[in-house]
Amino acid sequence: MSSSTVPAIGDLATELASPGPVVLAQAEWPTAPGDTLPGVPGFVTSTFSPLVVEVAQRCLHAFFGPAPADPARGERTGVVLASSTGDLATAAAVAQAVGQERRVPPMLFYQSTPNAVVGYLTARWALSGPVVCTVPLGDATADARACADLLIRSGDADAVLVVVADQARAPHQSDHAAALLIGPGSWTERDALT
Amino acid sequence: MADSGQAAITGMAATTAFGRGLTPVLDGVLAGTPAFGGVTRFAPRRCRANAAAELPGTPVLAEELAAVIEAAWAAAGLADGQRAGCPLLLALHCDPAAARDPDARQVTGDTAAAVAGRCGLGATPRIYMAACVAASTAVIDAAAMFAAGQASRVVVAAGYLVDADSFAMFDAGRSLAPDGQVRPFSAGRRGMLLGDGVAAVVLEAAATAAHRDAPVLARLAGWGRSGDAYHVCQPRPDGSGLARAVGMALARAGADPAEIGYVNANGTGTPFSDASEAAALHTALGARAALTPVSSTKSVHGHALEASGLVELIVTVLALRSGQLPVNAGFLGPDDECRLDLVLTPGRERQGRYALSLNAAFGGANTALLVEAA
Repeated sequence: MSSSTVPAIGDLATELASPGPVVLAQAEWPTAPGDTLPGVPGFVTSTFSPLVVEVAQRCLHAFFGPAPADPARGERTGVVLASSTGDLATAAAVAQAVGQERRVPPMLFYQSTPNAVVGYLTARWALSGPVVCTVPLGDATADARACADLLIRSGDADAVLVVVADQARAPHQSDHAAALLIGPGSWTERDALT
Repeated sequence: MADSGQAAITGMAATTAFGRGLTPVLDGVLAGTPAFGGVTRFAPRRCRANAAAELPGTPVLAEELAAVIEAAWAAAGLADGQRAGCPLLLALHCDPAAARDPDARQVTGDTAAAVAGRCGLGATPRIYMAACVAASTAVIDAAAMFAAGQASRVVVAAGYLVDADSFAMFDAGRSLAPDGQVRPFSAGRRGMLLGDGVAAVVLEAAATAAHRDAPVLARLAGWGRSGDAYHVCQPRPDGSGLARAVGMALARAGADPAEIGYVNANGTGTPFSDASEAAALHTALGARAALTPVSSTKSVHGHALEASGLVELIVTVLALRSGQLPVNAGFLGPDDECRLDLVLTPGRERQGRYALSLNAAFGGANTALLVEAA
């Protein structure tokens, strides 16, 4: 994204009058009993990052096809990752190591924040818009979409991949994640790229 | 109330290892005296490093957050009756208790709800946990909310207190400086050190602040945010992602690089990251990069993780208002990969109407806040 695509601060009100974004693609995980999570290179111990990657890639693939996204759109696509739990398993593994006075496995450093897995996704899909990670307290999807809406309305992105992911907190529960790609309706037009 | 998107900073407060209040941290950054010492809050076990910038005692995050919010609100000259309905955007580090609590969902949320309730702000606060750009992202969202007509006044608060889990994790990643000093952009730099940081800012839509004749401390004249699309935890070596964020901030304000009188750099003191940031500044500012004063105040107050963007925004505003520039401490000598005009001694005067506050995080997230003197 070049700086010339950013509205001057005095022009934002005009920018806000443009048509709102639409849902370009969506995905969920799991979609059926027995749905599996492929591993993600470099991410260990926890299902959080594989969960985010799987649901995000299903959504991105549904719209862009195989990775990467086309450059013109990828550079205008941001990511919002919302998780009420965050990566509980990684945090618990670090806490356990600290509690037992063991060295923390260095691999856990690289997955120590939710941003990390977003870096994996954005590198693979060439998405170079802003990255926002939140802990929603109310309706997670609504809050994440509100963050995405601000990114688009302020001109910081044209489209946003919204991922809401939560790990199971009890043995009878399952990890769950949903993803939406929201962006301009014009992106669904066949010749929009030309 | 719709607004152009320009945000006025009308109140702010901060607590760092230098103490509670704005004067201690301003004195510390202008003197360039690091606040690091041996860790006292816990005993680092099996770690290479053993230093951090800590408040004395055992501060409680929720209490510290409530205190800075109260102080910022009072500084803005706002009445208690104006609190209801004012959104609260919080940038928080994952509470270490969450990893030890089977009902983990409640831990961070409870802290946020308790702070909001205690201060009478935003019934459902939003928590940003985007690592080292969490707080700066919250500030940007506040300005975007003004532009979208979603709010006319927002409190952004952020807090991180040095904890054993983060210390051990960053140490495991060999990110902490084993020599006990943070040396941003310097030859021989060996890493970052953690530091306590709790801060709050009252932001108001420009028209709202003008309408009530508020005490404007500074204006957020522009912002930029971008992603590197490069790596899980390393910045793009050429700094192009951060450079785009700087370019966006300048474009929003219609500002020229020559008008920037100070850059509060992300400057973690890690070899790779500082070189990338220096490259970003050269790309974004062109020939002016070599002439623009730069310092990283992480060299004195440490890295406050999710809160760093707000602590450093406040430092940037304080510097603009004081007319003097914070010192880049710990410098041993020049590094060819970091050819910048570093502020190396106290007393350097600020020129230019704008200052930049830069932050970058894992996942390649970058933010640039362009602050204009009031």
